[in-house]
Amino acid sequence: MGSKFFNKLLLIGGFASLAHAAFSAAHHRTYLRLTEQEWSSLPLDIILQTVISLMIVVYNIIQIVGDFKEIRATVDMQAKTWDTLGNFPSFYTFNHRGRALSPSYKPHDYDD
Amino acid sequence: MSLNYEEMSWSDVRDQFRKWREESGRHSDEVVQLWVAVLEDKVQKTGNERHLILEQVIVAALDTARFDIATKCTKQLNEEFPGSLRVMKFKAMRLEALEQYDSAIEVLDAIIEKDETNAAPRKRKIAIMKARGLRLDAIKELNAYLKKFMSDQEAWQELCNLYMGEGEYGKAAFCMEEVLLHNPHSHLIHQRLAEIRYTMGGLENIEIARTYYSQAIKLNPHNLRALYGLFLCCSYLANSKAVSSKRKESQKLAQWALEQASIHTANHTTIKNNEKLIASLDSAFGGLEIKSN
Repeated sequence: MGSKFFNKLLLIGGFASLAHAAFSAAHHRTYLRLTEQEWSSLPLDIILQTVISLMIVVYNIIQIVGDFKEIRATVDMQAKTWDTLGNFPSFYTFNHRGRALSPSYKPHDYDD
Repeated sequence: MSLNYEEMSWSDVRDQFRKWREESGRHSDEVVQLWVAVLEDKVQKTGNERHLILEQVIVAALDTARFDIATKCTKQLNEEFPGSLRVMKFKAMRLEALEQYDSAIEVLDAIIEKDETNAAPRKRKIAIMKARGLRLDAIKELNAYLKKFMSDQEAWQELCNLYMGEGEYGKAAFCMEEVLLHNPHSHLIHQRLAEIRYTMGGLENIEIARTYYSQAIKLNPHNLRALYGLFLCCSYLANSKAVSSKRKESQKLAQWALEQASIHTANHTTIKNNEKLIASLDSAFGGLEIKSN
């Protein structure tokens, strides 16, 4: 539980940092336009911040959302038993001895 | 399963019902008891799931002959969806549970007339034939049904069961193969098919059974029944008139299956000193020789 809370904090931090990187990039371009310099590429610190915060966001989302599903198709099937697999709800018949357990059961009086 | 009804909240019951619905367990008595004890007053809270729960309760109530509950739930659904064919099916099921089969079939025929593509009422008609004990008619009708709805796995399995009831194992095996095509990863289907082949007997069929048992074990190494089946097949083949190299191989495989089975039972047993008990049983029966002639 504690580590999940920590993951959530990191996730929020990661998103904030990602937004901050985007904001810095926009700022950098305005700065270039104002000083009339040529656009070549983003400075290294902004690229690094983007990549690192993206990693943090991806990792923490995976931690928070839940466990992975098995990739092997047979694992899901292993837990099944014939009791449930061999039971067909659309072919139920009701004329069995279970009826005798009903509180209103009267032997040999089927037409009511 | 024993459930403490008083300690369960309505959301626990809802989750339990959902689990039973998804894995299609029958549990009719438990469903009715939980419904009466907990969920009946709280069903409004479950939102859209309510209708599914009501349907589940109706079937369970009919299964345990609680017509009062079934009628109440059907009424609720009917008020919400007047004229729905799905609700009409439950009315037919009620008649069926009351053993008024002719009127049930009338209702079902009316549903089919309104919607020819509706599979459920056709299946109910087959279930009625089964309930009346007309197994051959049910087989005929189910074959006609499967010509129209070929991808219905449930129906193929049911047809397999009906054929087995008649002792027509070859046809039952065909149906099971059809089911196998739909789920090639299910160890239980492989195991079932192997069991049918083993029941048919004969060298060829038992060899096929051995193959299917092996595949079942490959898909799920913990399948004890398949391990024992493999052991039975192999020990049959080892004592048969097959080629001697084949017999030796079967002997080895039988040994392996028995070892695996004993490892699994030793790991999962809840009996203390199980090994001692088995050893004493072995020594008691050691002098006994059973011959089948």
